[in-house]
Amino acid sequence: MKQIALYGKGGIGKSTTAANLSAALAGEGLDILQIGCDPKHDSTRMLMHGTWIPTVLDLIRERGDENITADDVVYEGFRGVRCVEAGGPEPGIGCAGRGIIATFQLLERLDALKGDVIVYDVLGDVVCGGFAMPMREGYAQEVYLVTSGELMSVYAANNIAKAIARLSRRVRSRCTLGGVICNAKNIEGEGELVEEFARRINSRLIAYIPRSRVVQVAELQKQTVVEYAPDSDQAAVYQELARTISGNETTSIPTPLEMDELESFALEFVQV
Amino acid sequence: MNSNPSPSNSSRFEGCTLTGALSVLTEVRDAVCVIHGPAGCTHHNFSLLHATLLSNDRFEVPRLLSTRLTENGIIFGGEEALENTLARALSLSPTPASVFVLSTCIVETIGDDVAAVCAKDRGIPVIAVPTAGFLGGVFETGIRNALSTVASLARPATEATLTANLVGEKNLEYGVDENAAEIARLLGLLGIGVNLRFVRGIETGDIERLGSAAANILREPALRPVGEDLERRLGTPYVDSFPAGLDGTCRFLEDVGRICGIEASAAVEEERACQAAMLEQFADIAGSRVRFQPPHPMLRGDPGAEAICTECAEALDLAVVPDGTAIPLPYPAPVGTAGLRRMLHRWRVLIREERRG
Repeated sequence: MKQIALYGKGGIGKSTTAANLSAALAGEGLDILQIGCDPKHDSTRMLMHGTWIPTVLDLIRERGDENITADDVVYEGFRGVRCVEAGGPEPGIGCAGRGIIATFQLLERLDALKGDVIVYDVLGDVVCGGFAMPMREGYAQEVYLVTSGELMSVYAANNIAKAIARLSRRVRSRCTLGGVICNAKNIEGEGELVEEFARRINSRLIAYIPRSRVVQVAELQKQTVVEYAPDSDQAAVYQELARTISGNETTSIPTPLEMDELESFALEFVQV
Repeated sequence: MNSNPSPSNSSRFEGCTLTGALSVLTEVRDAVCVIHGPAGCTHHNFSLLHATLLSNDRFEVPRLLSTRLTENGIIFGGEEALENTLARALSLSPTPASVFVLSTCIVETIGDDVAAVCAKDRGIPVIAVPTAGFLGGVFETGIRNALSTVASLARPATEATLTANLVGEKNLEYGVDENAAEIARLLGLLGIGVNLRFVRGIETGDIERLGSAAANILREPALRPVGEDLERRLGTPYVDSFPAGLDGTCRFLEDVGRICGIEASAAVEEERACQAAMLEQFADIAGSRVRFQPPHPMLRGDPGAEAICTECAEALDLAVVPDGTAIPLPYPAPVGTAGLRRMLHRWRVLIREERRG
């Protein structure tokens, strides 16, 4: 079983990438489990054709965690991809990070963490230990950073690289960086910038996903691109990404940039 | 940010703010204390208070309620559980006259807004006490915050009376009532009565008259921030400690006299005579050899204790020598002349035992 996690700045396209990746991996004949780890709980929505599935934490809140079965939290979507949403407390109250930990404990107890590939789609910033949960021992061994060429997005990716580097120092940790995915915003020189960033943090660019209108159109149809336009160039990009990730055996411990390094790196690439 | 002092001292004084605050708040007899957090925080403090009350021969049960937060309360926020527990507190029989709400480490960590929940009008005072468990400081922080918070129930004084408040008595220590009686006796020498024991064995309504005293007598200098706070809010000046030692007790009379505008020399003279008569009772141990023994290294001693013991040893012509009779330094330091008399009784017992071998 391969367990991977996608991390990146909020709004950068992690969930779109994760859903299309899961759909494409399922197309290879693999059994896929995708777990959305974000209180916004919209990771699996395109796989579920627009249905908002009940979140694990909603069920815990309503029933208590004793009366929940795997069938209550795992929903089958496009190509049999099994979908789970962790969910979270109402905005502005409680502790979402602790909620992720509780979700993982419940999924473990229900023996729900299985399949050929588990894809964890985690919220933008690793703000606390709870959101680093997918990187901990026994969960994702490969983290993929999703970023555009925008500096704030690279900055967020660098921060996540810091979390990976920190966790990888733990004795039994097997968390590594699998690579960097450029989800393009159509900025000039974007691919080169992200590729160079990946190199400098001791990783590599494993996919360049161009910006495409078909993503938005598919979303309006409440589908992944892989389902809505299977013959499109964009779908081919996701299929290539799926093949790269399922065959990826080269991972690394990242060497995140210091703030001044990041700033001078930015100056090299951005034309003022 | 928490900045608890060194772990080398594990006495109660570096314990939880809840314990300190509850040692004050449970002395408001018609109030209920709600502790917002896991049941264990309440259980632990209930046990400690109950056991301490019993060991001081007080057969009382502290009125504590827990919001009994569990993991789900932490994840989804605990304010609803607090609302429900406040409703439970208000429906208790007999109905509490006030409710004090204390917070624990975890609810402060997740950001529950205890003060906002308490702000709702419920017909009786429901007051948030800044505590935050260990996160919010130590035992003494809890005492100070509780005293300042309870003071919010005081009414502005219409007229000042020639009385004083006892502020921050050490409710968990032995001899609290004897010490209070000694202060009342000393104040009586100056013609000053006791207005309010703040807080010891009182009711919610009593707190209204906190501001009508001419002086506040703090139990110890660590309570100065409370003294300052009360002076700012109610205009009452304070003396920063109960008296300790022979000279210290006379100085106390002068200090109280000064802030109350009373000439104290007659009272001091009377007290000197009282001290001389007291020392006379211990003439039989004059000339004995003693040494002072510091408290167990895990416990904090009273910083003033050694000077007071030395003063008494000199007054009784005792020799302080390394091989003398071991005399444990008292904690807390004895209060007033009556406190010294009780201490010297214990010395006599120890000295006689040693003589008998």
